[in-house]
Amino acid sequence: MLQGVTRIGPYEWEVPIGFVPDMRVPGRFFLSDRLAETLEPGAIQQLANVATMPGIVKNSLAMPDIHWGYGFPIGGVAAFGMEEGVISPGGVGFDINCGVRILTTPLSAADLVRKRELIEGLFSAVPTGVGAKSTLRLDQKELLGMLRGGSKWAVEHGFGIEEDFLHCEEQGSMVGADPEAVSQKARQRGMPQSGTLGAGNHFLEVQMVEEVYDPAAASAYGISEGQICIMIHCGSRGLGHQVCTDHLRILEAATRKYGITLPDRQLACAPLSSPEGRAYFGAMAAAANYAWANRQVIMHMTREVFARMYSIAYEDMHLVYDVAHNVAKFEEHTVDGRRMRVCVHRKGATRAFGPGSPDLPPAYREAGQPVIIPGSMGTPSYLLHGTAVAMERTFGSTCHGAGRVMSRTKAKKMLSGHEVKEALGKEGILVRAHHNGAIADEAPEVYKPSDEVVRVVHEAGLSRRVARFKPLGVIKG
Amino acid sequence: MKNPVPVAMSFEELEHTADVRLRVKAGSLESLFSEAARALMVVMYGSAEPGPMRRSIEVQAADPESLMHAFLSEVLYISEVEEMVVSGAEIRLNEGRLEGELTGEPFSPAKHRSGMEVKGISLSGLSVSRDNHTYILEVIFDV
Repeated sequence: MLQGVTRIGPYEWEVPIGFVPDMRVPGRFFLSDRLAETLEPGAIQQLANVATMPGIVKNSLAMPDIHWGYGFPIGGVAAFGMEEGVISPGGVGFDINCGVRILTTPLSAADLVRKRELIEGLFSAVPTGVGAKSTLRLDQKELLGMLRGGSKWAVEHGFGIEEDFLHCEEQGSMVGADPEAVSQKARQRGMPQSGTLGAGNHFLEVQMVEEVYDPAAASAYGISEGQICIMIHCGSRGLGHQVCTDHLRILEAATRKYGITLPDRQLACAPLSSPEGRAYFGAMAAAANYAWANRQVIMHMTREVFARMYSIAYEDMHLVYDVAHNVAKFEEHTVDGRRMRVCVHRKGATRAFGPGSPDLPPAYREAGQPVIIPGSMGTPSYLLHGTAVAMERTFGSTCHGAGRVMSRTKAKKMLSGHEVKEALGKEGILVRAHHNGAIADEAPEVYKPSDEVVRVVHEAGLSRRVARFKPLGVIKG
Repeated sequence: MKNPVPVAMSFEELEHTADVRLRVKAGSLESLFSEAARALMVVMYGSAEPGPMRRSIEVQAADPESLMHAFLSEVLYISEVEEMVVSGAEIRLNEGRLEGELTGEPFSPAKHRSGMEVKGISLSGLSVSRDNHTYILEVIFDV
């Protein structure tokens, strides 16, 4: 482990005040010995940098999928007090509300005939890859509706059923969205991209429930062994990227205006109560709504393909839940025995509210919030539930995925997309992408093992395993 | 006095686990901007060759790093909404103000789908420096 970092539990480490100058609180992160072997010093530096930001409460935190990002580390979580605290695009990222949802079907593995035809059907129904265009043809007015209403807008426009938005974090529509704070440039980028999957690590995967660990929670979520499910991972596309770029510039000026000194320009921020801070929050919330509507539209296309191919009812495919990975939100938490309202930034981290949380749909309140952890291509994904431990330790947060260990450059040198595709094919996993480079880029070898990341959050109690999903086929950007 | 040695424009990829980190070199600050735009396009589309498209560009900022950030962010935006793969730029610099013309070819799905989607230009790790006659940019693209 790095010099200066101390172990405080089997899976928990502390970065003390003084690790970098001007830290206001200590850093804390969760990691096993095995994952510690690939920890990057740059990621811990970034975790410590976050601890210097005004109004940070309790700890700068990182989940076991921590890695080197920009501004916050990936896997970073930090909460800021309402009076002294700040908001920063560096704690959210360019892909605002990049997130993941899981949809069940009434099908079991034996029903999944004509799999290649299914994957081709999904690939032609859902626009993917660099330069992909929407099939929706939105106008300015409809885009505004999407920015205000999120998943609700999509359902009202025929892209789903009412229970869908009830099964999203924030009911798929964040309060406080301000489309006025979203620039014309961002809207221009957003209009032709609604309902597109994007590229990079975004995917749509057909999976089978391989093992149920917690039958009571699985039953509450409508999950059973052998069931076919679909996982969708994507974000706010060019609209969200542009919102981040635009407001980063505004907040850099605000950082100087409010006399805030920071160790990294990407952490540019403004007080939560300032006009600049409020404008960023409003634009970010609008972009988050765009992302929820986007995933809703893609889920609609997916349901139509499944309904057509397997003669099943659209309504018999239920959305289990939808979680956001990159977002800042106002939440109430107990800090040192006192309830307080804070702005929680999660960058590559998932909200994991415990049992009894009023934000959850009634059917999930006893089990806690469903937490969806996608594996890398070809490795298992997991469904977990949020816990009281996460509420106490991490502002109700857990990991978001496997976390990269190999750079894209190295991946391309070491692995051929064609070989990766063939190897996955031998395991019964069909992969469809526009080009093989995208496959090498996201090969299983470039990520930390998802099993180990999930084991750490399970053992540390930040969320508990409910079920494991085996990939059967995937479409990529 | 010796003539300055012409510096060939080039870029190389540096190690970064999650994102794409590049070092770009050029013989003048103006050509550093042009080469940085081309590098961004090669990352996004796999290739960036000269073509018939022209598009004016104008950005301003207080320091060279911020100007580069504003410029590359604008190139990214133009490329996406105009469906243009930029191969280079004629740049004029005047006290924190950049004006110029981008050149390139239209985006073609058949030709330009072997790259990676760049979500944004990071301010973390962005530096513009000079070593004798060589201008050097280091930059991280979020992909």
